[in-house]
Amino acid sequence: MNRMNDMQLTELLMKLYSNSGEAIFFFDRDGKVLSMNKAAEEIVSKDVYEQMMQGRTDAICLTCKGFTSSEEMQTCVSCYMSDPEKNVGSFQVYFETAGRGIIPYSGSIQTIDAEVGIRAFMLRDLTVQYKTQEELNEKQMMKQVIKAQENERKRISRELHDGVAQEMLSSLVDLRVLKYMNVEKDVLKKVEQTEGTLMRLLDDIRHLSVELRPATLDDLGLEAAFRTHFKWLEKNYGFVVIFHPELQSKRYGGEIETVVYRICQEAIFNSLKYAGVDEVIVRLFEEEGTLRLIVADEGKGFELDTTPQGTGLGVYGMRERTELVEGQLTIRSDIGKGTVVLLDVPVSEGGELL
Amino acid sequence: MIERITFDFQNEIEQLKEFFGFDYVAIALVQSPERRFELKWTFVTGNRSERYRRIKLQSGKGVAGLVFKTGKPMYVGDAESELMGPDHFNYPIVIAEGLKSFGAIPLYKYNRVKGVLLVGYRKKSGLTPLQFEEFKQQIGPRFGPFYNKEMVTDESDE
Repeated sequence: MNRMNDMQLTELLMKLYSNSGEAIFFFDRDGKVLSMNKAAEEIVSKDVYEQMMQGRTDAICLTCKGFTSSEEMQTCVSCYMSDPEKNVGSFQVYFETAGRGIIPYSGSIQTIDAEVGIRAFMLRDLTVQYKTQEELNEKQMMKQVIKAQENERKRISRELHDGVAQEMLSSLVDLRVLKYMNVEKDVLKKVEQTEGTLMRLLDDIRHLSVELRPATLDDLGLEAAFRTHFKWLEKNYGFVVIFHPELQSKRYGGEIETVVYRICQEAIFNSLKYAGVDEVIVRLFEEEGTLRLIVADEGKGFELDTTPQGTGLGVYGMRERTELVEGQLTIRSDIGKGTVVLLDVPVSEGGELL
Repeated sequence: MIERITFDFQNEIEQLKEFFGFDYVAIALVQSPERRFELKWTFVTGNRSERYRRIKLQSGKGVAGLVFKTGKPMYVGDAESELMGPDHFNYPIVIAEGLKSFGAIPLYKYNRVKGVLLVGYRKKSGLTPLQFEEFKQQIGPRFGPFYNKEMVTDESDE
């Protein structure tokens, strides 16, 4: 099926050759460059270009940095040029380019004239595709890490709560029984001291468990978990959270609840650490199919574009978590006025009433 | 056994503050069994914030928590450089009161830490190591010598 004559086709091919963004080289049987198009000339440096024009057989090696095999990222082992008979449809190859450094290309090499042994070698720039791929990988990795961390926390938290704390509670009960037995006064004193220590230890373990991941979040939902957490903040740091829950104990998917909980936790911690205040306002409500969380303080505030205090991972993590549930995170801050963190998460109408 | 009459903590810490010229003096005591043996700041003088009232100390956390857990005195000559890293929010009292140099000692009773005494200044190097040492020696006979783990009384055991 060809509606053109040979002349027209030749013309088209010539246009393709000279205007294509893909680099095209023609090699003879010995590996000498017979011709290359404009895109190819742009890739190779001047020095290499001259050597190619002089007909050096290994000139391509000056600019080629190896191709990707299953063993190595960049290798010369069984080079695609070594066997003049071999056609390789697609492989990945790295080229040292003029001005742009080492760049990944998708290459193909095939014999187009078996009699004379002429081969065409074509290169397609992969940098953009690569970057996209990398970003995608990074994001997916981050999400995996967040999920894995959450699961691991859940596991350890449960273990502490159901295993260690229970065991400790039974020894505490045993100890209390001892108090009502006929024991000497000084023994009783000692028992009471030990009881005190054990109770504090039990409290510590419970705190640890809740700090890792509150069981209330899974069992009773966001509002209950928030209340517990805010009470803990008050006890530990004397930090007051003014909480306006407007959800009437509505429940949402586990992932959404986790994300909202963690982002709220992080936002409050940021206020606690950097804002120089001892209270924040938290509002949690649903509006037109969107679950909204607002964390606001009236502290120092910061400039959003400056290098963050601390690790800077906090806000990054908040954004990644937000993406997990396809939500939207907005941070507004004014120096001297305070900071507002706003999280919107789309939820199915009304959530689940439990 | 030393005398077990009720001890006026508030009066004592006020005198301590006067005597040494501290900016801030506070005592954290282990609460009675009814209050689940919590560790709380019970007596405070020279405070500029009421934040201490809300705090229930956890063993091993914050100044009092650390002294309580280790049973050893703690001295910080320059809070700005020694504590104000990324973890500074773990010392809420130091932040709320703006303490720049401070020291804390455990108060022993029946070979156990029953409380923590914190003294401090709102200026850098206000409390020198030498002065802290003097303070420890001075406190010894009055609050019960913590260093050889003798007793101090507190109401919670009455």
